[in-house]
Amino acid sequence: MHHLGSLTIFFCWIALISGIWLLIFFRTSVAGAFDSIEYLTQKQWYIGGIMRSLHRYSSDALILTIALHIGREFSRDTYRVTRWFTWVAGLPLVWMIFILGITGYWLVWDQLAQYIALTSSELLDAIPIFTSKMAANFLSDAAISDRFFTLMAFLHLIGLPIFLVFGIWLHVFRLSRPSINPPTTLMAGTLLAMLALSLLFPAVSQDRADLAVAPQSLQIDWFYLHVYPLVQRWSPEWVWLLLVAISALIVFLPWLPPGKKAAVAKVDLDNCNGCQRCAEDCPYSAIQVVPRSDGKRYEHEVTVDPDLCTSCGICVGACPTATPFRKHSDLIPGIDLPENSAEHLRDMVDTATTERPLVLSFACSGSSEIAWLTKHKKSCVEVACVGQIPPAFFDYVLSRDLSDRVLLTGCGGSCRHRFGLEWTSQRITRQRDPNLRLRVGAHRIAMAWEQPWSEQGSLQKLHSNLERDARENTECD
Amino acid sequence: MRLIGQLISFAIFFAFVALFSVAPELRLLDDNEAIVSLSFSHAANRVGECKRLSQEKLLALPPNMRKPDDCPRERHSLQVEFFVDNELAYETTLAPSGMWNDGKSTVYQRLRIPAGPHLLHIRMNDSGTQQGYDFDDSAMINLSPEQNLVVFFDASEQRFQFR
Repeated sequence: MHHLGSLTIFFCWIALISGIWLLIFFRTSVAGAFDSIEYLTQKQWYIGGIMRSLHRYSSDALILTIALHIGREFSRDTYRVTRWFTWVAGLPLVWMIFILGITGYWLVWDQLAQYIALTSSELLDAIPIFTSKMAANFLSDAAISDRFFTLMAFLHLIGLPIFLVFGIWLHVFRLSRPSINPPTTLMAGTLLAMLALSLLFPAVSQDRADLAVAPQSLQIDWFYLHVYPLVQRWSPEWVWLLLVAISALIVFLPWLPPGKKAAVAKVDLDNCNGCQRCAEDCPYSAIQVVPRSDGKRYEHEVTVDPDLCTSCGICVGACPTATPFRKHSDLIPGIDLPENSAEHLRDMVDTATTERPLVLSFACSGSSEIAWLTKHKKSCVEVACVGQIPPAFFDYVLSRDLSDRVLLTGCGGSCRHRFGLEWTSQRITRQRDPNLRLRVGAHRIAMAWEQPWSEQGSLQKLHSNLERDARENTECD
Repeated sequence: MRLIGQLISFAIFFAFVALFSVAPELRLLDDNEAIVSLSFSHAANRVGECKRLSQEKLLALPPNMRKPDDCPRERHSLQVEFFVDNELAYETTLAPSGMWNDGKSTVYQRLRIPAGPHLLHIRMNDSGTQQGYDFDDSAMINLSPEQNLVVFFDASEQRFQFR
C-alpha cells in the first residue's frame, strides 16, 4: 500500500511506452483512426493488440491506484498543515489524467468515442463561454473533419502529457527522496499481471462511429467515464456542480478543520557541529545546510524551514548529540522538538522503566498496537515517530539495564512520516548514521514492522517471545 | 502468509481493473427507441428598425464610420416549439448570444422518441411578434430503432430540414 504513488507513475510509464507503439500506426483522420486501431487489434494482435490492451489496462489501473493513494493519505491524516501543498497539487493531476483518458478513448472513433464526443461536448456547452454549441458538430458525419483528430491527437499525445510531467514534479517537489519507482519485484509482478490480462481479455473497439445511429447500449470504461451517464440522467450543469464541489472539497479538506501545527524543530548552534545528518534524513526537505554563522570552527550549520517541517522528529533521531548519557550538561541536542524534546523522551524512558520491565516498547502515536500495549499494562513510551528516537536511547535502556529487551512498533508497517521506520531499521542494523553502538546486541531490539503481517496478534506473540527471552537471559545470569 | 496475502490483493486489484474497464454495460436507449436532435443556430431579427441617416449626420461622423443606415444591434429572443404527433415535446425561448445581445441563438436538444412513424412539427418565432410563427415546418418520419434524426434550420432555404 505504501507504493501507490510510485505504482501510479509506473502505470504512466507503461501507458507511455505502449502509447508510442500505438502512435506509430495511428492515422489522425476520420476514416483512418478507427481502421488503424482495428489493424493493430486484429491483424497485429501479437504486439499491437497487446500494446493497446496494456495501454488500456495501465490507464485504468492508475485510476485505481490514484483513488487508493488519496484514500490512504486521507485515512492517515497526512494531508494537513505543512503537507497541504502536496495534497492540493495532486488534484490537477487527477483532472489531467481524466482528460487524457477521455481524449484517448475519443481517438478510437468507435461508438464509444461517438458517445464520449457528444457527451463531452454537452458538458463543455454547459460552460457559459461558448456562443455556439459544440455538440452540434457531432450530430452528422459531415461535420467532422480530419483536423479535429489532429487536435485531439495533439492534446492526448503532447499537450496534456507535458503538463502531466510538470504536475508530477509539482506534486513531489516538497518531498525529499520522492518514491518514483516501485520495488523491482512489484514492477515485474505488475507487468506480468498486465500482460496476462492483455492476453486473456484483449481491449477491443466497439462498432465504427456512425453519427446517424444512436447506440442503444455501450460497454464503457467506468474508471474514466463514471460521470458521463449522469449527464443524461441529471443535466450537464448538475454534473459540473458535482465535479466542482468534489474538487473544492478536496482542495479545502486540509483546513476542514485546520490541523494543529506543532512547534517546528529548533536548531541549537551551541550543540550543533554541522554534521548534516538531520538534513540527510529529513523526509520533507525542511532542513537546509548553510555556512556557519556563529564563528565556530565548523564549516556548516543547519536551518529549519518552518513551512516544510512537520515536527516528526526524525531529525532528532539522526542527531549524534541527542544522547541520554549526558551527565554534566542538560540534554540539549543540536536539533530538537520544543514540544517533544529529547530530554522529555529520556524522562519518559526513566518513568517507564522505574520497575525494570522485561520489555520496554517504543510505539508511534499512529501505531495500532498502542491499544494492546496499554490494555495489557506493558511498559511503553509513545512518540510521534520511532524515527525520532536516537539509537543512543536503546543503548541507554539496555546498557543501563533499565530493561532487558526493546520492542519498536510503527504505524502499521508503513511510516506516516515516510522514512521513520526505514531509517530506524538502518540505524539499528548499523547501516545508517548514527549507528547503534556495537556493545548493544541488536538481537535485544525487535522491530515489529519487520515481522510478517505485524498485526496485534503477532505483536502479542513477539512481545511474549521477547519476555521469554528476557526471563531466560535473567536466569542464565 | 504475507506472500499469499499480497497475491490475493494483486488478483483482486487486477480483477477489479478488468471488470470495470468494460462492465457493467451502459444502457442509453430503451428497446425500439430513437433520438431526435434539434440542433441549429439562428440570428433572430433586430429589435428596432434601421434608420436612414441624413447627409448632415453622415458628414458629422468620422470617415470610417459613415454607414448610411444606423441599425440597433440588439436582437429578439428566439421562440421554438417542437411537436411529436401534435403533442408539445419541447419548447424554449432563447436570448441572443453576445454581450450586446446581437448574436445567434442556439438550440440544442436531444429527445428520446419511440421508433415508428411520427408527425414531427417545429415552429419558430424570430421576429418578436406576439402572435404567429415566422417559420413552421412538419414532416412525417418513420424512425427506426437507434436512429439519430437531426432537425435543423437550413438558412439557405429558410426552412427546417429533418435528416
